[in-house]
Amino acid sequence: MTPDLKVTIAGVEFANPIMTASGCCGYGEELAQMFPLKKLGALVTKSITQEPRLGHPPPRTAETSSGMLNAIGLANVGVDQFIVDKMPFLRSSGTRIIVNVAGSSLKEYVEVCARLNDCEGVDMVELNISCPNVDEGGMEFGSDPRLTEKVVSAARKVFSRPLIAKLSPNVTSIEKIAQAAEQGGADALSLINSLVGTAIDINTWRPRLTNNRGGLTGPAIKPVALAKVDAVFNCCRLPIIGIGGISCVEDVVEFILCGATAVEIGTALFVEPTVPVTIVDGLKKYLKRKKLSSITDLLGKVRKY
Amino acid sequence: MVDVQDENNPAESPEMIKPACCDTFVVKKKKLGVEYFSLTFGPFSKIRACRPGHFIQLKLPDSQVFFRRPMSVAGVIPQNSEMEIVLKVVGRGTSSMSRLKKGDPVNILGPLGIPFKLPHRNESAVLVAGGVGVPPLLFLAETMISKGFDPEKILFYYGGRTSADIILRSRIKSLGVRFSPVTEDGSYGIEGIVTEPLEKMLNGAKGEKLRLYACGPEGMLKAINNLGLKYGVDGQISLEALMPCGIGVCLGCVVPLTEGGHARVCTEGPVFDIGKVAL
Repeated sequence: MTPDLKVTIAGVEFANPIMTASGCCGYGEELAQMFPLKKLGALVTKSITQEPRLGHPPPRTAETSSGMLNAIGLANVGVDQFIVDKMPFLRSSGTRIIVNVAGSSLKEYVEVCARLNDCEGVDMVELNISCPNVDEGGMEFGSDPRLTEKVVSAARKVFSRPLIAKLSPNVTSIEKIAQAAEQGGADALSLINSLVGTAIDINTWRPRLTNNRGGLTGPAIKPVALAKVDAVFNCCRLPIIGIGGISCVEDVVEFILCGATAVEIGTALFVEPTVPVTIVDGLKKYLKRKKLSSITDLLGKVRKY
Repeated sequence: MVDVQDENNPAESPEMIKPACCDTFVVKKKKLGVEYFSLTFGPFSKIRACRPGHFIQLKLPDSQVFFRRPMSVAGVIPQNSEMEIVLKVVGRGTSSMSRLKKGDPVNILGPLGIPFKLPHRNESAVLVAGGVGVPPLLFLAETMISKGFDPEKILFYYGGRTSADIILRSRIKSLGVRFSPVTEDGSYGIEGIVTEPLEKMLNGAKGEKLRLYACGPEGMLKAINNLGLKYGVDGQISLEALMPCGIGVCLGCVVPLTEGGHARVCTEGPVFDIGKVAL
């Protein structure tokens, strides 16, 4: 019997737990050249803001040991163009669509979510309250429990489908932020966003990013992400979508064992754009080998000392 | 197959080709100079889709190199399903490439990007290479000639700091093109920078139908972009950029456009029409 990879989050069923992380799969068209998007559990779009954004000037990415820094600066087409130009393709892609929403004010989050509430084909919204690369908003909302609760509950009022809060690791207590998001009415949590970092060119003495700092992602951050997923799983009842350096089947299994119902794959897509397909196939083989009938049998089953 | 453009068919628009991700091997390695190497990979399933100006994203069997590296296609041998790249050792990625040996495994993602538009038959093609920008232009010249374009109508300018930076010169000469090497120290060819003899030629060729093609350092491309605009000569430049993904999803490789906004070098480029990019 083929093992069952289906997972359910906030009443929404996903064909498998493999999603592509925001900012790493554009609006889907480019990745669709590499594999059929219906192979994914879900696609999470680039962060959408109210107005179009160009982002920071280049260079806005830098290679690091086992990872990368980025400070793209939320470049996106803006919610109106997103709905008109990008949603028709996404609707027809055959996968679940989660739209990531960013804002520099409470009002912006609310207005973008309200627009998306009227848009057919948006299965969920993921609130980006953890972007480290913009001056206003972003991480500000995700690093203060009161602001987290406020932005989540405000979005909750205007968006009737499930709402995910994407959490930052750059905080003293991610548990407190997770609980605040739950209090505010989030249906699920995704974690972690990138870790604040930088890199300097020793010949020019210039930071390698025009933003001077960026977000660290890739395999380098996986152990941090796993520990955060474990911490939140043990303090909060909301389903978790694990993110951080996932690039192979083994990584996914680790995240699920620590309490993630699903996972998002980000930076690994840049190196291996077809990696979600490889992972989905590998997960089936892993479950067979372990004689498990469903991926959900692994959820939170880490055997701690 | 793409044809050399003629007057009746000027609107050949190169489309994005669906790339493939392919495990393959180093089949040949050649040292071209102190820091320059040629590597040939094969088999590669999409070899017949590769056009001059296309690039590949090369994944190295080296855990110290996290990203793939974007490399211009320097040539193809379709019957062997092989492709060549040419590199200069400048950093971690190219240094790792220089240590590859025959038989080593690599992974190729490609072909990627928008290739060069080939010239019309009534035009002369002016190719301007700077340093290690030569590979796509060599591939372009070879492709044009294989399609029946008169080599006499290809002007091949090639600038480098010294004689050691003018690589593949016998291969270029053997094409029968009008070859003009230029070195800053005068150790090979004309002394100076490549844009000087180029401007002299453009100045003396008013009324002739020319098309410019350039690849090299940003300063050179900026100068050629300006010369193209000044002398009203159409053409294209191929840009280099830091490129984490190469397929248009990471938005790491953007350049500003003269009309405003950004373009992704990997997807809207790497080949851009003269005047398009705000260099």
